[in-house]
Amino acid sequence: MLSYLIFALTIGGIYALLALSLNLVWGSAGMVNLGLAGFFGVGAYASAIATGAGAPVVFGWGIAALAGVAVGLLVTFATLRLRDDYLAIVTLGFAEMVRLVALNERWLTSGADGISGIAAPMKAELGTGGFNLFYLAVVSLIVLGVWWMLARLDASPYGRTLKAIREDQELARFAGKPVLRFKYEAFALSAAIAALAGALYAHFQSYFSPDHIQPLITIYIFLGLTAGGVGRPAGAVAGGYAVLLFIEATRFAADVLPGLKAVEVAAFREILIGAALLIMLHLKPQGFLPETMPKAPKP
Amino acid sequence: MTIDRRTILQAGAGALALGLAPQGAFAQAEAFRIGALNPVTGAGSPYGSGMAAMILAAVEEVNAAGGAGGRQLQVFADDTQTNPQSAVLAAKKLIEVNKVNAILGTWSSGVSLAVIPLVNDANILLMHTSGAPALSVPPANAKGHGYRFQATNDRFGRAFAEIAVKEGFKRPATMAFNNASGIGNTQGFKRAWEAKGNQVVAEVVYEPNQPSYRAELQRVMAARPDVIVMGSFLPDTTIILREAFQTGANVRWIIPGWAANPQLVTALGNEPTEGIISVDSVSNEQAASFARYDEAYRRKMSQPGASNVYAAMTYDMVIALALAIEAAGPGAGTAQINAKIREVSNPGGEKVFTFADGKAALKAGRKINYEGASSVLDFDEFGDVTPDFGVFFITRGKLERRYVVKI
Repeated sequence: MLSYLIFALTIGGIYALLALSLNLVWGSAGMVNLGLAGFFGVGAYASAIATGAGAPVVFGWGIAALAGVAVGLLVTFATLRLRDDYLAIVTLGFAEMVRLVALNERWLTSGADGISGIAAPMKAELGTGGFNLFYLAVVSLIVLGVWWMLARLDASPYGRTLKAIREDQELARFAGKPVLRFKYEAFALSAAIAALAGALYAHFQSYFSPDHIQPLITIYIFLGLTAGGVGRPAGAVAGGYAVLLFIEATRFAADVLPGLKAVEVAAFREILIGAALLIMLHLKPQGFLPETMPKAPKP
Repeated sequence: MTIDRRTILQAGAGALALGLAPQGAFAQAEAFRIGALNPVTGAGSPYGSGMAAMILAAVEEVNAAGGAGGRQLQVFADDTQTNPQSAVLAAKKLIEVNKVNAILGTWSSGVSLAVIPLVNDANILLMHTSGAPALSVPPANAKGHGYRFQATNDRFGRAFAEIAVKEGFKRPATMAFNNASGIGNTQGFKRAWEAKGNQVVAEVVYEPNQPSYRAELQRVMAARPDVIVMGSFLPDTTIILREAFQTGANVRWIIPGWAANPQLVTALGNEPTEGIISVDSVSNEQAASFARYDEAYRRKMSQPGASNVYAAMTYDMVIALALAIEAAGPGAGTAQINAKIREVSNPGGEKVFTFADGKAALKAGRKINYEGASSVLDFDEFGDVTPDFGVFFITRGKLERRYVVKI
């Protein structure tokens, strides 16, 4: 049980990173990014290919983050004139593009077979149990670091500008803020975090394939962030962990409900997840850790 | 003599103790735990619940025969959602929380490839129905703990090449559905075909879920092939063949059996399907084990057993595994059981078709060869089944088996 919890918390940390990434671009800057799985995939492949070519793992993570920045800038450039629903559709398409490229460029990604045997750092030295603990520590530290950084950003004038852009882009521009530059920067940083999450995932699992780049993970992260509280880094972290732990908890429904067929258990799990979201949105529409708006100072 | 309450109670207690005695013996040996990890939802959902149900049915059969190696089998089920990310979490839960000794019935290659590193770490067994050749060799199958109950796509491809030679085709082209299975078929064909000093005139890989494949078809037909070798599935094959018929393409087809089946004939009619060569691993439809499986499948799923080939495979997984546990003897660990799997299923022993018969033969000290419901179930050094391939020709809407190809 303990080692299962360690495993789940590691994946939870990766979800928390993705939620932080989404919170920056959607919660703060108001750009809907349904392409999260795509950036996740870019990072995973970048690091898997780099370390496969002999680079050390930490170097691979750096390359993943840089690849995220590059692709993030590209996507922002391609979607500059789009907002709201239209941006959401295009970013969803972007994730699908990444999946198709990974599927078809067999020389680079070995196509549908995926990349097996991705280097797991320190696994030979630490053994399986030790490696899982070590990796949990690494992922948790990275989550804490990114969280701290984004919380600082959120509280800074920079973060307030992002929120001003979210609320009214024209007004922000009118106030003299270079809206375009802010958008580029926010999107690139967010993409880098998502790509880093992908790289962490790939080296943890030692296997990555185009099947991993399905919209399901994006939806889970949206769920988690909505539950945690959009617009607040602490909410993103809490939501990322919560969504994974909740989905995992429903797994145990099968053990307490004997006599149900496999397909009934699967349906029951989906009902539980859907019902939880409805209840939560009804009781806490702002999420459990809602965004805090500092009061305007009195004149 | 009067029969009073006390005598009855004593007699009852005695009978109860007698009845409990054998179960007491079982209680000492810990159950062998099986993780049923099937694609209950997602792309594999047409097969997943049947696969899960047949694992349960086979386990009931084994337990009714007194268990294997003095142990009862116990099943813990979970859903892969046909998604590698969900599947690894499910596998981890089965391994760490339910302490399973084997995971049975992963379906898509992506899922099996994602789960097998966990299986290797935990030193347990994985039995799957995936086609990807990568599952045979390291790093995926570094420990030899993976068993494949479905013929590899590469092996299908090699069978296609044998058939193409036998039928005298000179200019084959290939069309593959873009996944590990589809490409595995056509690549396997290409390798085997070129090794015979021949050439493939055109190769097309197509994306799934298109309403039309006319563009792909034109590209292939431009090379004037005399036969098109497919790595495809039923929905796309239906569209491609319809469009080929509409455009009057004069070409023959070699198609895997899961795509060229009676449903295809029903969808298209007799004329467009005339002369298609359908190739399938010879399932064991004449064997007694298939009859038992079929009966169980009808009982649990209210459908004929032949409608779900993967369920026949999961049924065989349990029986073969249970026979290996029995052969390895009480208290055997993964390594001893793993060493027995080929011994109880490969040729060299008395052919058996049920767990009970196999167990009796093993008890009598004889060697056995389990003949499965899904195939004769012989494993090569990679843990892959090595079935023979039946070559069917579709004539006037009927699939006729003409001959068998051995690889």
